Amino acid sequence: MSFSESQDLETATTAIQSQPDNKTRRYDRQLRLWAASGQSALERARVLVISASALSTSLLKNLVLPGVGHFTILDHHATRPSDIGNNFFLDPDASLGRNRAEEAVRLLGELNDGVEGHADTRDIADVLALGAEYFSGFTLVIAVNLDPSLVEQLSTLLWQDAACPPLIVVRSAGFIAEFFVQFHEHDVIESHSETAPSLRIDKPFPELLDHALQLDLEHMDPTDHGHIPYVVILVRALEDWKREHGGSPPTTTADKRAFKDAVSALQRHQDEENFSEAVANAYRAYTTTGVPSNVQALFDALPDQLSPARPFATLVAALQEFTKQPPYALPLSATLPDMKSDTESYVALQKMYGRRAEKERGVFRELVNKLSAETGSVIARDVVDLFCKNAHGLFGLQGKRWGDLDTSRERLVELLAASPRETATHLALSALSTWLARHSVAHAQSNGSAHPNSQTSNTELRPTEEDLLALVQGALGDGVELGKEVQDAVGEAARAPTADLPNVAAFMGGLVAQEAIKMITKQYVPINGHCVIDLVDTWTGVINA
Amino acid sequence: MAAVDVQRVNGTSHVGDWPDRYYHVDQVLDRPGPRTDPSFMAGDGVKDFLRNQCKILVIGAGGLGCEILADLALSGFKDIHVIDMDTIDISNLNRQFLFRPKDVGKPKATVAAEYVMKRVPGTKVTPYYGKIQDKDDDYYMQFNLVICGLDSVEARRWINATLVNLVDPENPESLKPLIDGGTEGFKGQARVILPTVTSCYECSLDMLNKPTAFPICTIANTPRLPEHCIEWASVLEWPRVQGDKKMDTDDPEHIQWLYNIASARAKEFKIEGVTWQLTQGVVKNIIPAIASTNAIIAASCCNEAFKIATSSAAYLNNYFMLIGTDGVYSYTFEHEKRSDCPVCGGESLEVSVPRSWTVERLIEMLVEKQDIQIKKPSLSTATAQIYFQAPKQLEEVTRPNLEKLVSDLVPDGGDITVTASSLPFSLSLRITYV
Repeated sequence: MSFSESQDLETATTAIQSQPDNKTRRYDRQLRLWAASGQSALERARVLVISASALSTSLLKNLVLPGVGHFTILDHHATRPSDIGNNFFLDPDASLGRNRAEEAVRLLGELNDGVEGHADTRDIADVLALGAEYFSGFTLVIAVNLDPSLVEQLSTLLWQDAACPPLIVVRSAGFIAEFFVQFHEHDVIESHSETAPSLRIDKPFPELLDHALQLDLEHMDPTDHGHIPYVVILVRALEDWKREHGGSPPTTTADKRAFKDAVSALQRHQDEENFSEAVANAYRAYTTTGVPSNVQALFDALPDQLSPARPFATLVAALQEFTKQPPYALPLSATLPDMKSDTESYVALQKMYGRRAEKERGVFRELVNKLSAETGSVIARDVVDLFCKNAHGLFGLQGKRWGDLDTSRERLVELLAASPRETATHLALSALSTWLARHSVAHAQSNGSAHPNSQTSNTELRPTEEDLLALVQGALGDGVELGKEVQDAVGEAARAPTADLPNVAAFMGGLVAQEAIKMITKQYVPINGHCVIDLVDTWTGVINA
Repeated sequence: MAAVDVQRVNGTSHVGDWPDRYYHVDQVLDRPGPRTDPSFMAGDGVKDFLRNQCKILVIGAGGLGCEILADLALSGFKDIHVIDMDTIDISNLNRQFLFRPKDVGKPKATVAAEYVMKRVPGTKVTPYYGKIQDKDDDYYMQFNLVICGLDSVEARRWINATLVNLVDPENPESLKPLIDGGTEGFKGQARVILPTVTSCYECSLDMLNKPTAFPICTIANTPRLPEHCIEWASVLEWPRVQGDKKMDTDDPEHIQWLYNIASARAKEFKIEGVTWQLTQGVVKNIIPAIASTNAIIAASCCNEAFKIATSSAAYLNNYFMLIGTDGVYSYTFEHEKRSDCPVCGGESLEVSVPRSWTVERLIEMLVEKQDIQIKKPSLSTATAQIYFQAPKQLEEVTRPNLEKLVSDLVPDGGDITVTASSLPFSLSLRITYV
């Protein structure tokens, strides 16, 4: 756990806090993940879910509990006995025959007073006919087991303008399922990357270097010697090495071993844990600090022209400018990991890093100001600082349109060879969706699970494996061999074509809610592509379209 | 008019069922899939077992437990038992969806059971508000399956060892599949344990994250992090100032006291970052938890239970791990059984120690070593007691041995039996000297 940098020493130690309020206590376990900023994004969010199926309410439950601002369920169907059988948020004593959306909204609402729920009982087909405006009022739209032609309409509508909300398309049948997140661009500043930022031991800033060089290692008092932070030891050892090697750091394997031995030789006795840490971290001294690949990818993807509509790009461009100057690295992070040392030396080092980080942040701010002025962007200072602080973990995802994957036979064939079971599952679900749309009663199909009221007509709604295999073959083209993976996936789809199994609904509800939270909070990194699951063999996979 | 007609039952009748109730689940019970085992009895046979005969135990009615109970009930399990020793806290409400603000302070097991029975008619959920250790072998023998949604390593080790010990090779019914789930933030895992057949919980003890422990000298002399100041308040200052008064980490006044002390210490040492929340997090060892991750892991556990109970599909062999922080990453693999596992392995664990080690040093190692982690171990050989933690008189008699060399008490290649009151098994160590 790291401390908050924005909190200065004075407020941290004099303002005595007391037990947090009820709301903070209620959300404590999630605030430890996405903090107040994530929570406030979640509370501002408006989510639309199309259909009140078991999968839909499972996923909404996971958004209502953490406190999403608003949700709407769009569903014009009356509750059937089968709906009550698999949906925890329909009431066996009251819901039968009533509108599914209204009933589900009522029962989901009981989970959290702070959340606003709304039932829209219109037919999605009618709402789509009204155009994009309705959907623009939402932060995120999620379509669950929706008829393929309606998904096509909806995804086209939401793709035409980058200001339209992202769309998550979810499909399931028995033990298999998949979902896809459609978005133009998604920027992540707070990725919560587990890769620690560089301590820049190989490129020490002047104050750190001076401090390391001033140490009289030979004559130092034994207590002090045993408490030099390993960062300082390594900076010193590296400088000594470079002096003896014409200014070059250790490069070959033999060099590196010799460097480690040199660090080891500085240790006066085994009990000096700070020196053991230095030996263990020696690689940090001979690993060149540069621009991490995730950040380089952002530089490479920068547009030719910056626009005020994309402040993230302006920030990235400023960061690139920053890295073009010595020491050709990202702004220094003020966060220092714990290391063996005494309080005084550690706090002094922490302050040193803090001062330098502050200085580099200032340089970065100026670069941002300059670019903002040129492009006419207005970027709040706290956003600039947040960006700077998280520079090593930045991500920028370029999304795709729903359905893109299925437009290229060549690509599908390639993917089937590269990720057979994942691609096969996607193909089976596509084939099933196409088959159901062609064969079922149009009205019952248009929303949620596609089955009619009576079980007796089930058989009419069941494709054979051959039906689905023919559709898969059609998608891939003649001559492509359909292997075991396709047979397995198609077999499960044909076995349970309209089954929204409670466990699969809950599993998917959890996965989709996780991605929804990541999209809404812009924290952590969402998937880019199709996420496919198979709960026969219990695996998940991602196909990067 | 709006209630489902529970009277219109046809065929093999099940209490509370209505036509089409299992429209969805029946699609996978009426016919096999391509990967289904040939022994699968599609149709009424399997439905009758699931709905009328199968008895399942859920351990934990918290974050995972609430989800597990709902999933099992909707899947058609009708005889569910649930054990939980906790009462409901306000911080549970962001994910434990069977509880409301009015339920704060009530037992989790009872409230959860009532809620599920109301929402899924015909399901019988029998709650027990207490500890798993209160129950004996006969109790555990009555179930077909056990699912764990626990946050305690100790409790998991206990139930795992209990179910392994229960296995009688002469009686196939004595083998109770154990399905275990766990989550932390956006990460989680689910696994299937067939006691004595597959790798057990104890076999994988070294996969646990090492708990963060700060050396006492850092806490006392060289604090650097806010956590060090908080540990100073709770580990050193609380007993010094409060004497025998027990620290209750659920009591806000106690947290406030610790926070005040830690803040003062931080100020003295110019350390930043001691907050109320951090203080609470450190002393309670709080693990972040969200509804969505619990939903995934609980569903995975229940899906395995459903597949085992029905044979409608092969079950997990044997470990599913999920990481949702960067995209969706999961890994399904077979965790290997350990032949020197103290619970299911049968072989002694080989331990090589310096001849200079005292008994006390050996005990320290047993507490810390990742694949052993036995708090308060008692040690003996076949012929002598080395050190016993309890009863008091035995502790006093054996205490002088703590300072003796292990090599003076146990020959090279000799065995030491390690026991602990918290664990229903003993560990056999084969000692060699280096």
